[in-house]
Amino acid sequence: MRIAWVQLSEVRSYRTLELHPQARLNVLVGPNAQGKTNLLEALGFLVTGRSFRTSRIGEIPRWGVEAASITGELARRASGVESRRSVRRALLRGGDGIWQATGEGAPEWARAIAFGWQDVEIVNGAPGARRGFIDGIAARLYPTHAATLVRYRQVLARRNRILQAHRREPGLDARLEPWSEQLATSGMELIARRRRAVAALQTELARVWSALAAGHSKVEIRYRTALGEAAEPRALLEALARARHHEARLGQTLVGPHRDDLALEIDGADARTFGSRGQQRLVALALRLAEVLPVTEAAGTAPVLLLDDALSELDPRVRELVLRELGAAEQVFLTTPEPLGAAGAAVFDVNGGGIFAA
Amino acid sequence: MAYYPEPVARLIEALQRLPGVGPKTAQRMTFFLLKRPVEEVRELAESLVAVKERIVYCGTCFNVTDQDPCRLCADPARDARVLCVVEEPNDLLAMERTGEFRGRYHVLLGALSPLDGIGPDDLKVRELLLRLEQGETAEVILATNPNVEGEATALYLAKLLRPLGLRVTRIARGLPVGGDLEYADQVTLSKALEGRREIG
Ligand SMILES: Nc1ncnc2c1ncn2[C@@H]1O[C@H](COP(=O)(O)OP(=O)(O)OP(=O)(O)O)[C@@H](O)[C@H]1O
Ligand SMILES: [Mg+2]
Ligand SMILES: [Zn+2]
Repeated sequence: MRIAWVQLSEVRSYRTLELHPQARLNVLVGPNAQGKTNLLEALGFLVTGRSFRTSRIGEIPRWGVEAASITGELARRASGVESRRSVRRALLRGGDGIWQATGEGAPEWARAIAFGWQDVEIVNGAPGARRGFIDGIAARLYPTHAATLVRYRQVLARRNRILQAHRREPGLDARLEPWSEQLATSGMELIARRRRAVAALQTELARVWSALAAGHSKVEIRYRTALGEAAEPRALLEALARARHHEARLGQTLVGPHRDDLALEIDGADARTFGSRGQQRLVALALRLAEVLPVTEAAGTAPVLLLDDALSELDPRVRELVLRELGAAEQVFLTTPEPLGAAGAAVFDVNGGGIFAA
Repeated sequence: MAYYPEPVARLIEALQRLPGVGPKTAQRMTFFLLKRPVEEVRELAESLVAVKERIVYCGTCFNVTDQDPCRLCADPARDARVLCVVEEPNDLLAMERTGEFRGRYHVLLGALSPLDGIGPDDLKVRELLLRLEQGETAEVILATNPNVEGEATALYLAKLLRPLGLRVTRIARGLPVGGDLEYADQVTLSKALEGRREIG
């Protein structure tokens, strides 16, 4: 799919803005703090109804305004025929001061994949960043994943509360049981979908990596869980039973998908510990690009790529390879503080809240 | 800052204790009431007291009622072999509105909710066991809400009732997940009842 045009009104640093991007590569170039990331965020919001930068939508409207909107048209080509859909997203401040988002017209096939500097945390950050990453992909691939995740977190919070409040009481097991059972059911559902998402990524990751890093090294991704290969809720229940004494002492649930992690290795060495800064950035970018194919298959159309400063910290040769790989995508937006020589790209100068076709 | 006269402050304070009512809403309600005719306000005040004085929980099923046992428990036409367990009186009403269920009810007056400190002893569980011991019931339908609290409550009861050798069923999952029984439409609820399965 691609964004045919977009119009912003009172979004971040923009009063009004209209942009007609092209298919393939669009480069947004400009000095720091001119609104490149703001624009990328708005494009993502148009497609998905969410910001990749913040969960507080009140940060998105331009300071001091009462309403903001992002309007545009999304196009996709299916069996040779292009269809278009108008989408309008509005942010309104209610009487209680709370911002509400409304959206109209977003087609079910609309998908965007965003990459930003925070994504390096997938490689070098704490396990939570990797769980968030794989859950994000699983949610784009499997529509029920997000709901299961919410349910799992609810059950987990309640089970932990029981462990804290009743840990010394003889009836602890009976109290825990209905929560352990639900934790096991939704927990194994999450693990199964995360595993499938990892498997879907692995093949593409290998291909993307060899394109970006020009051969030589190999990158591998694996799902890491204390439950081994088990797929039945029973296995999680048994693991909970084994951890029971420990859990009662610490007052928290010690096994389950909320404790799992991803292993990311470059030539067998942990990328978090041994990867160079540039390698870590490149692995993070490769992970996002590896997501394109599985999401395309699941949604029936290619996602829009929103890449924020994706080339920084990469050497000129690797940049060249990244641009070549991006050449295959249906539509890409790439921000950069310095001009790049990318053949065939539409270049937009972002400066002082305005955009000028270069 | 100016203070409210004492009676105004007292009413705002009292209204704030209602579920879903914050300080702002309580203020708005109070000033709304101040503008209404005194008969209307008296009617409201009296109905508040009357509900507390005249309505009791049925000693058998724990539904709200103005007579004990309630009309449902007293009705000989209701099938005593099937017992439907719900969380709140509202859920019982929702079930009755489907017109599909001809058995009897047991209202737990809540669900297992660790975050609110509500455990089995805070629900009408012991009373349920006493009822079942009388041996009239052949099937217990667990019709607690499809959210995590309702599901935990159903799982807990299923385990507890297992030794009694009854048929224990759970209403089907067709209900919106995380939703409330009382807001489910009648068709959805009838289907959930019809599609119930054995649990535990
Ligand atoms: N809600 C808002 N209202 C008005 N201005 C905002 C709002 N949110 C952010 N800004 C401003 O937008 C400016 C530009 O932000 P943006 O992140 O898009 O810059 P950028 O072009 O991506 O810069 P860099 O190259 O440093 O990443 C910031 O300096 C900030 O002051
Ligand atoms: Mg930026
Ligand atoms: Zn009764």
